[in-house]
Amino acid sequence: MAEFDKADIEKLIDGVLPWPATQDMLKSPKDTNRFDKYVEIMQARVDFSDPILLPLTPNLFIVSEGGNRVVKCRCGQGFGDYRVNWKISALIRVRDDEASISEVYVGREMPDPKWMQIREYICAGCGSQLEVEAMPRGCPPDFDFLPDLDTFYSEWLGRPLPDKSEYVDKTLDAIAEWQA
Amino acid sequence: MPETAELSLIDQTAANEEAFKKTGSLFGLETLHRKESDPGTYEAVWHILSNLCNAAWATGCKVSSSPIAAEGGDALWGLHTPTGEAICISRGISAHAGLLSDMIKNFIRIGYEEYPGFKEGDIFENNDPHYGGIHSPDFDMCMPLFHDGKLIAWASCVSHVADAGSVTPGSIGFMNPDCYSDGIAISMERVGENDRFYPWYEMRIRSRTRTPDFVLGDARGRLAGCITIRERLAEVIEKYGLDFVTDASKEYVEDSRRYAVARVKTQTVPGRIRKSQFKDLAMKGKRVLLAKQDIDCMFNLPMEVTIKSDASVALSLQGASGTVPFGENISPTALKSGLMMGYSHIVGFDMFNSGPISAWDVEMPPEGSWANPFPVDFEAASGVAWAPAVTWVSSLYEVFGRLFQMRGFVEEMAAGAGTIMTAEFSGVNQSGMYLTGLTLEQASQGSPARGYSDGQNSAWCIYTPEADFGNAEITELYYPIMFLGRNVAPDSGGFGKFRGGLGHTAVWMVYNTPGLEYSCGDAGMRSKTVANHGMYGAYPVVPDRPAYAHDTNVKELIDAQKPLIHERGAPDNPAVSSKIKAKVMEDNAVAPFVTPEQLQDYDIIVHPIAGAEAMGDPIERDPEAVANDLNESWTTHRVATDIHGVVTNKPNGHVVVDEAATTAKRQEIRDTRKAQALPFKEWWTAERTRIQAQENMDPAVLRMWASSMALSPDYAVELRTFWKLPEDFVFETQD
Repeated sequence: MAEFDKADIEKLIDGVLPWPATQDMLKSPKDTNRFDKYVEIMQARVDFSDPILLPLTPNLFIVSEGGNRVVKCRCGQGFGDYRVNWKISALIRVRDDEASISEVYVGREMPDPKWMQIREYICAGCGSQLEVEAMPRGCPPDFDFLPDLDTFYSEWLGRPLPDKSEYVDKTLDAIAEWQA
Repeated sequence: MPETAELSLIDQTAANEEAFKKTGSLFGLETLHRKESDPGTYEAVWHILSNLCNAAWATGCKVSSSPIAAEGGDALWGLHTPTGEAICISRGISAHAGLLSDMIKNFIRIGYEEYPGFKEGDIFENNDPHYGGIHSPDFDMCMPLFHDGKLIAWASCVSHVADAGSVTPGSIGFMNPDCYSDGIAISMERVGENDRFYPWYEMRIRSRTRTPDFVLGDARGRLAGCITIRERLAEVIEKYGLDFVTDASKEYVEDSRRYAVARVKTQTVPGRIRKSQFKDLAMKGKRVLLAKQDIDCMFNLPMEVTIKSDASVALSLQGASGTVPFGENISPTALKSGLMMGYSHIVGFDMFNSGPISAWDVEMPPEGSWANPFPVDFEAASGVAWAPAVTWVSSLYEVFGRLFQMRGFVEEMAAGAGTIMTAEFSGVNQSGMYLTGLTLEQASQGSPARGYSDGQNSAWCIYTPEADFGNAEITELYYPIMFLGRNVAPDSGGFGKFRGGLGHTAVWMVYNTPGLEYSCGDAGMRSKTVANHGMYGAYPVVPDRPAYAHDTNVKELIDAQKPLIHERGAPDNPAVSSKIKAKVMEDNAVAPFVTPEQLQDYDIIVHPIAGAEAMGDPIERDPEAVANDLNESWTTHRVATDIHGVVTNKPNGHVVVDEAATTAKRQEIRDTRKAQALPFKEWWTAERTRIQAQENMDPAVLRMWASSMALSPDYAVELRTFWKLPEDFVFETQD
């Protein structure tokens, strides 16, 4: 199996790894410890010390916080239980009229707000734009990924996590608590 | 397991399925004996067989005379096991590998081995969506191959003909109102024997297609390629022996399955991933064929992928919306072939064949949906069934891109694909010859952003690895048009940390024809909406908006040696209307459409080809990359400043970044975002009221939701529960 330097992986993440080295990574058999290296790199880049269990996106992480598995932005802003879609704990800016959409798309490039809205999910901590959705009114936000975290650690990585958590979507349970 | 010789093909198929169920290995191959005992020969024969298919592609495309095959290489040849599994395929339009495999399996399943029987030199074809075809212009062919009287393999081919006789000219039949208007049907037929087509097959093509010489040229190209496979395979068998080739062929398929499963297990994460996707088809008020088509449509194209603990993959389309009265419905068989194509791009088969898809558990799409029309809507048209399928498969790129990121394989990530809007012409060309067919512009989109870089401009195509828009001069030979421009379109690759590869614009002047129709076709485009591909905070690619001008002053401009039009122009100042005068000026047309006017000499068409999707927060884009894009005229100052937060100066005619001002601008954008955004719950409270009031929702959207909820009750329950809507809530439509 190939081995790649952590420094090269960092360069890859930052988009500055020279193309021949990038091609080498693309073509070579994959390194079996990439996940651990990636988590190490990301852990050093975030503004919190809770251990990362899974990098959900380049900016969002499932971490172990006092024994609870929660989603955090790299700035440390928390988004709650990883089994609840983190988007319902974010700030949201919705562009659903011509005036707001034209701040992004102008003239003939403007989509029709009667057909769709643009939803921007913003981190309340650092103001990062974490995801953008383009959906017609009525579509629930995508729960991008619900990991089967215990299977991943115990069966795929061969090192079970110290605790267990049921692999189930709890988003609708959270919504049920809200006053309509 | 019993050998092929002892069983009919239909029984052998059943035995294969049973063996797979029992062992988890295709053909029951728990051990790859040939690979283990002679890995060198195993590898060598693989490459020989692959190149044998490539030889068929090279031969067949040259025998074929149509510009689509000869210039664009839009065809594919394959080699299959006796029971239909693809062993390997040629270069070309790889989206069809699954279709060809399923066609052979269908011939076996419906009993053709018994009647009319399979024998050396037989030619079988299908293009009928009711029997698994994708759309009528894609003619699927197969020939059984024999050795000492025993059927030992199949050769297959698909080519995309210029015209299949559908109700409107050309091969992108988005306008077809029903299956009866889809064109000539070859419905699971034997179309020739002894390496020759039946005379009545050729007569039917002559009487029922608009460009029969090209269509028959394609047929002969298909046949020539299949015969090439047969002859080369005989040489391979002579050299390596039938037993080795037969055994190794099965092992290649199982080997490829193992590779894909291993890759999922070592490079992704188990769990459930969801990706909503939508696509518009706005036709109300346009030139259509039947009254029922005076309607706007919206497709719901949902994708739910579950990576299971054993690294197998389950896929659901729960929520898919209903059929449409246009040629944009697809059979589940064809859809699965598109999925296999996308999966091969993303997961990267070591050996491209039927193996990896066998590890998929694809839930049958809702009956009566665009993805499973028959028999609920038996008359549903499939003139360009790829249209919703391609926009749906685009989600697969992002889905696996996200999974690869989680494991740290940044080099494998990709954002979503570009859309596909086609240009077709029909009319008499400069040689006095009637022609109809595609240009190849759409076969060269931008490529998706990667996890480490921008995509490449005009260098990629979702449906074929042969990303090639052909030579302008060759296109001008066929069609009565002249290229006034073919150039990179600024800001056409989304806005993100890494942008998609940019698309391009073709500007054509109609010339040397008594009259020409331009069909701006939907083979997977969006014009009223953008894709749901805002991966990691990027903004999606702009909608597809073409333009045209009819009855223009272009001849006067040429005579006076005044400037013409060569590009798309700024989005709020289209080049066509600012530089050209015309009696009919459509400078911001909603696609798709067929021009209501017959175009004439000196009319202008501005045809955009999409870039691909971006990824990452736009204000994290390297300021130097933004400056470079400005210097290349690949972006605009508005986007650089307002979207990327990059402030620049131009001291010596060259754009440079003002670092301090950029830092301040980006902080200002972050602060503004936080100030303008609401807590989700606050928005949800107001939004659920607006949903119940159906506020500012186009009738096309309401119809889409109504059909999605009716066809997928569980999807409907989840939607209602999320918004806390009454249990009996439905979207009211005016239909």
